[in-house]
Amino acid sequence: MTKDYDVIIIGAGHNGLTTAALLAKQGLKILVLEQRNSLGGSAGTEEIFPGFKFNTGAVDAGLLQPEVIAELNLKKYGLEFILPPVLGYAPQVKGNSLTIWRDPRKTASDLAHISESDANKFPDYANLIEKLVSALRGITTLTPPNITQASLNSLLPWVKTALNIKRLGDKDMVELLRILPMTAVELLDEWFESDLLKGVLGAQGVSGSMQGPQSSGTAFMMLYQQMGIPGGGFKSCRFVRGGIGNLSAALSKAARLYGAEIQVDTHVEQILVKNFQASGVMLSTGEKIASKIVVSNTDAQRTLLEMLGPAKLEPREMRRVRNIKFRGSTAKLNLALQELPEFVGTQHDEQLSGHIIICPNLEYLERAYDDAKYGNFSDKPYLDIVIPSKTDNSLTPTGQHVMSVTMQFAPYNLRGRDWEKHSQTLEENIIDTIAEYAPGLKDIMLHSQMLTPLDLDREYSLTEGSIYHGQMGLDQLLFMRPIAGYGQYQTPIENLYLCGAGTHPGGGVTAAPGYNAAREILKNI
Amino acid sequence: MNKYDAIIIGGGHNGLVAAAYLAKAGKKVIVLERRHILGGAAATEEIYPGFKFTVFSYVVSLLRPEIVRDLNLPKHGLTILPLESTITPLPDGDYLYRDIDHHRTLRNIARFSERDAEAYEEYSRSMYFMAKAVKYILGIIPPDPTSLKPKDLLGLLEMSKHFLGIGEEQFFTLFKLMTMSSADFLEEWFETDPLIATMSASGIIGTFLGPRSPGTAYVLLHHYMGEIDGVFRAWGFAKGGTGAISNSIAGAAREFGAEIRTNAPVSNVIVKNGKATGVALENGDEFLADIIISSLDPKLTFLKLVEENDLPSDLVESIHKFKIRGSSGKVNLALDALPDLSCIPGPGPHLRGAISISPSVDYIERAYDDAKYGEISKQPYIDVIIPSMIDPDMAPPGKHVMSCFVQYAPYELREGTWEQRREELGDNVVNALSEFMPNIKDIILHRQVLSPWDVEQSIGLSQGNIFQGELSLFQLFFLRPASGYAKYNTPIRGYYQCGSGTHPGGGITGTPGRLAALKILKEIN
Repeated sequence: MTKDYDVIIIGAGHNGLTTAALLAKQGLKILVLEQRNSLGGSAGTEEIFPGFKFNTGAVDAGLLQPEVIAELNLKKYGLEFILPPVLGYAPQVKGNSLTIWRDPRKTASDLAHISESDANKFPDYANLIEKLVSALRGITTLTPPNITQASLNSLLPWVKTALNIKRLGDKDMVELLRILPMTAVELLDEWFESDLLKGVLGAQGVSGSMQGPQSSGTAFMMLYQQMGIPGGGFKSCRFVRGGIGNLSAALSKAARLYGAEIQVDTHVEQILVKNFQASGVMLSTGEKIASKIVVSNTDAQRTLLEMLGPAKLEPREMRRVRNIKFRGSTAKLNLALQELPEFVGTQHDEQLSGHIIICPNLEYLERAYDDAKYGNFSDKPYLDIVIPSKTDNSLTPTGQHVMSVTMQFAPYNLRGRDWEKHSQTLEENIIDTIAEYAPGLKDIMLHSQMLTPLDLDREYSLTEGSIYHGQMGLDQLLFMRPIAGYGQYQTPIENLYLCGAGTHPGGGVTAAPGYNAAREILKNI
Repeated sequence: MNKYDAIIIGGGHNGLVAAAYLAKAGKKVIVLERRHILGGAAATEEIYPGFKFTVFSYVVSLLRPEIVRDLNLPKHGLTILPLESTITPLPDGDYLYRDIDHHRTLRNIARFSERDAEAYEEYSRSMYFMAKAVKYILGIIPPDPTSLKPKDLLGLLEMSKHFLGIGEEQFFTLFKLMTMSSADFLEEWFETDPLIATMSASGIIGTFLGPRSPGTAYVLLHHYMGEIDGVFRAWGFAKGGTGAISNSIAGAAREFGAEIRTNAPVSNVIVKNGKATGVALENGDEFLADIIISSLDPKLTFLKLVEENDLPSDLVESIHKFKIRGSSGKVNLALDALPDLSCIPGPGPHLRGAISISPSVDYIERAYDDAKYGEISKQPYIDVIIPSMIDPDMAPPGKHVMSCFVQYAPYELREGTWEQRREELGDNVVNALSEFMPNIKDIILHRQVLSPWDVEQSIGLSQGNIFQGELSLFQLFFLRPASGYAKYNTPIRGYYQCGSGTHPGGGITGTPGRLAALKILKEIN
């Protein structure tokens, strides 16, 4: 093999493509290798059933960082957002349903039917959270300092964040420090009385984690989910026209335009090392491709233990990599529907434009987690449902719809059962749960696709089905992500970098890991 | 005339320590204790004739050696007897035994896992260094990161220098201890479930958290900070029970000239023009002093002893939010004979140590699950010691006393009251014990059951929380008990705090009492 590249990027997820585009823009010769036959990884849109386009992984691009959109001019390459007026809707079989609007005042006026006190407090809550989040927003596109040998230079960008926090004023600053390690339950109990409101808000704090709302750090995750566009007290919510895959398409367009090559259906078997430096990759075909730098979009465990090999690591580093907690907790059900489903108590179908949340209270959520703690999938799961075709008619044949359901909790390691045999049981369980709120669902279902944590692991290379490439617990954030001592997108092997969700700031369609990794790589060459 | 330099409200061990230090410095001091005996939660009482119980707290390890030295406690009767072993009986008739003989312990662990025996050594070393590094914070008044005062900034700088100076590996371990669950932390080292369970139990003591809840690793560390005669993490039993510790401190205080009154319940602190001038007893008697120190918990210190009007509303709100959920109970048994463990029948050295009913992590976690939903644990975690085996004076010849610390017993029951359901807790404990001690039911002469509600009633700890407030991250250091008031001060001039609700928290450490007294002396001299 004679063709030499400056950088080979393993994996064409949205972060890998971001790194590719940013590096190509600087004139580097880039090759992206994707194992599947489509781009985007878990931020892709696939036509699983003829005419029906599904966001098979992530559904929401609310967290996508504005720096990336601007620097790569993504809007020019076809990225178009849809901002649904409703962020969250929680139908109720009995009693009042809850709607969380983009405008917190509107939410408050709706809330008055549920609780006068909560209605009064909600705008203040949304304001406070937005204020705290705005002080933190900058950290997503910073490189965590190497804490024990930090140079002044690496700390400097963080001073700005520190000043932003300081600028909150004494009271709010203390509030921020106090809230970060709290549990969702503790935070919400301090504010609200409505079980439904607390359930819907608290569910944001457990998304993607194997943690119940009574686990410390879940309050932080509630903030994290709002680090994108201001969220009205709920998670940042924004869809991509044509499906989230169009973000990946825009990224790849930008990358190719800057000269990057992107090759699908190409499985990287091994990362090649010469003189303790990454020197290229070997494909499953045996073909070797050389490069000066290798960047992996997949998680640290797959990268370092599978593609590199544990023998190339120091025992201490190897132990850290092995100890990464993945703990996938979600399963995904994609449904093709003949028509828009009807949910009980829905007044106007605008309410179905955002996330439909099935989580009637925090105890429901905690009990759903309890099941998973002992190796079962939740009997009564927390569901986050979106019907993107509601606001985007390019996804389905006229009048028909696609529904994507993210289910929690589904542990990767089942006890006494295995996923190959029980995928069907889980699917029925999810459909039955939705049908309680949308009784006609079963009659309008055309097709379904169930993705268990095992499927997510096998098909999308998400280790243990963890959509965040590693749980976002307080112990696996900042300079501890992906492993202690390697928070700067580098690895123990020189010229081998990481750019996926397993690195700072973590999961979600932020493009921040890819953006930060590109900056670090450019700094080092 | 009832005029003193300082009045200490509450004759618990911290109140007594503060009194002794102030008296030693020549101040005229009086301690006012509500009950007929001293010690608060560290008291020994002869509940049934001839049977002496360490009614509440029962072991000692965290008592700071500088206090023992400064107050010359051995001279006043303090003798610590070693408590050298922990046995975890298992349902299959096997057991896990660890004691002061390191090699025997390793052999015992190796029966379950060779790998764990190896890791145990490394783990012990690592935790020894961690405890040594962290012990530093036990000796300092927490600097306030929100303050811009030179003293605080300097303190912060010193603290960061200290922690960054402990070495990279230790720093990361510390970060993990601050953020992880005790089970997760231990699982990075070990694979033997009963070993992980028994060790992780140190992380749940006094908290309303399970071994899988993040934040419990810190509590684990808190329990490692103990030191007896210079030996880290050694646990001991005070001859005569924990009451003997309080009595020895009281003896020292009296020798330095302090006056100590029992049966003297304080009803309120007298505040004039924002300054504390004295206290009033429930019988109307008044005592005057320039300095009033409350050793009670933050709820009582701020919300009961003084008027809310005398406090800024922020502080009142913070104290209302301060988490102080009681989660543990105590069952004290008077026994006609020695209990027989089915795994090691007959008497033996194993009965002179702790008997831990913690067969698996799931066992403890399920016990926690019950409490999460307001239920008494059906199969509780129990930490048993038999004081009369260590100190024969605790019971009549041939008879025994048994102390069972039990978790979980939530202060707030979902159904019924503790007055109605107290004995259910006793039954659950005895039933759980009888699984491993077949003769236990036949040898019980008397049984005293203390629910968290009883603890609140008898010694005044709000909600029966043994730490005067949970040791959660957001309730530690400069946030304990509230931002701006973590240096033993209050907004009322001349009014101070010195209980476990202040830094560094609960356990028989004496540190809050000592640090408060030293700070006050510095302020007034």
